[in-house]
Amino acid sequence: MQRSPATDAPKITFNDIKGAFSTQTRVISALMLRETKTRYGLHKIGFLWAIVQPLMMVAIIVGIFSAIRSDNPGGMPLVQFMLTGLVPFTMFRETMNQMQGAINQNKQLFAFPQVTTFDVIFARGLLEVLLLAFVFMVLLTIIHLAGWTINIERPLDVLAACSLLATIGLGFGFAFASLSPLWPSMRQLSSALLGRPLFLSSGIFFTADSVPSSVRQYLLYNPLLHLLELIRSAVFHEFETQHGSWTYAGTWAICSLAVGLLMHQALRKRAIIGL
Amino acid sequence: MIKLVNVTKRYRTAAGVNTILDDVTVTFPVGASVGILGMNGAGKSTLIRIIGDAEPADSGYIKREGRVSWPLGYTGGFQGNLTARENARFVARIYGESTEYIEAFTQEFSELGDYFDVPLRSYSAGMRSRFAFSVSLACNFDYYLVDEALETGDARYKEKFRLAFEERRATASVILVSHNEQTIRRNCDMAAILHDGQLTLYEDLKDALQFYNFLQTQAA
Repeated sequence: MQRSPATDAPKITFNDIKGAFSTQTRVISALMLRETKTRYGLHKIGFLWAIVQPLMMVAIIVGIFSAIRSDNPGGMPLVQFMLTGLVPFTMFRETMNQMQGAINQNKQLFAFPQVTTFDVIFARGLLEVLLLAFVFMVLLTIIHLAGWTINIERPLDVLAACSLLATIGLGFGFAFASLSPLWPSMRQLSSALLGRPLFLSSGIFFTADSVPSSVRQYLLYNPLLHLLELIRSAVFHEFETQHGSWTYAGTWAICSLAVGLLMHQALRKRAIIGL
Repeated sequence: MIKLVNVTKRYRTAAGVNTILDDVTVTFPVGASVGILGMNGAGKSTLIRIIGDAEPADSGYIKREGRVSWPLGYTGGFQGNLTARENARFVARIYGESTEYIEAFTQEFSELGDYFDVPLRSYSAGMRSRFAFSVSLACNFDYYLVDEALETGDARYKEKFRLAFEERRATASVILVSHNEQTIRRNCDMAAILHDGQLTLYEDLKDALQFYNFLQTQAA
């Protein structure tokens, strides 16, 4: 394949970059509005559904677990324990899941030259993260008001850990979103290989201390377990994690985002054409 | 001005590599309506998508001066679950135009009536393209890229579009792809033929049509 000499190609000026940046901001915010509309705007109770859905999930899981478990995991009250595991975990999983179909489900949008694959994927991820952050706050408030008192010890640590969970989700999301147009069974594969095993092994239902050390050494390869430990450590004064490492989880977050973006960069042309 | 420089585009298909553009260099002049003729499968839609930057070329580059529309056709970039109003607002946002203006213009010009607030998926093909063209007219492009679909709607509406485009001609140019020489004859002042990876621009519409007829007899 022959490339035209670089001297022929038009030069990129500072104004081009400034214009590109403002276009991108405009496009991403328009996409987020549109995404909100298509996901929740079709019914009158749409937005309510976004809150009710995770609330129901927490209620069911907490209900089941408080029926079969009577102890307080790691000295933490059960309901608060489950909530601080489940919702942050969805910040990883739902972000990844929502981003995955971004290219496939928005193909028609690429007719507009200013809409790029990056915009479409990122808009979905960002919307999901913001929505879940809102849901988390609402749920914490509801639970607190309902009598399961929550006093967050170190709120900034919770914020940091949630951001890292979201970042890992964004990294995986970018990778899967770029892969799935080329590999249609990607979605099933990622949910079978990642969704469920991680759901069970990330410490939503247990603390790292409560598993035998022979198993724990393997479980601790999972950065999500580190982050859930760190979150609970930051929320409850009864609990101080012995295993959660900021360095380990942070490294994972940076690396997965880098790999995700690189994969997107490498595959984006083929992803549009679908070959 | 839109200028393609050394643009190459190939598709890999099960049947082998299909070359749509093979090192094509061509300039579309300002103010002219250029028709691009090609047989079925020559890659006309791909070409218009490449010109409109909706799809990347394999190599070479495209220089665009002025605002270029998205490739206008039956579907365009619209979401079936959203209403015409919501889609129009989306277009206004990504082009940085006033949402109120685009919405009002589109509603008036498309003559969709109550359907303006109905999801696009329940539209007929004619209504969809009426909507697509109205939004694009609202946006005031310098170049309109059209993929076949000019010929929709009833006679009166067709005439309305033709007049609107005619009016825009003073400031805007049209690039129209079609396999139908009638469409080209009616709407364009010059034509290019896409054949075998080559895009040849003819100053004279008659020459282009003559060569196109020759190609069609060859194929038959």
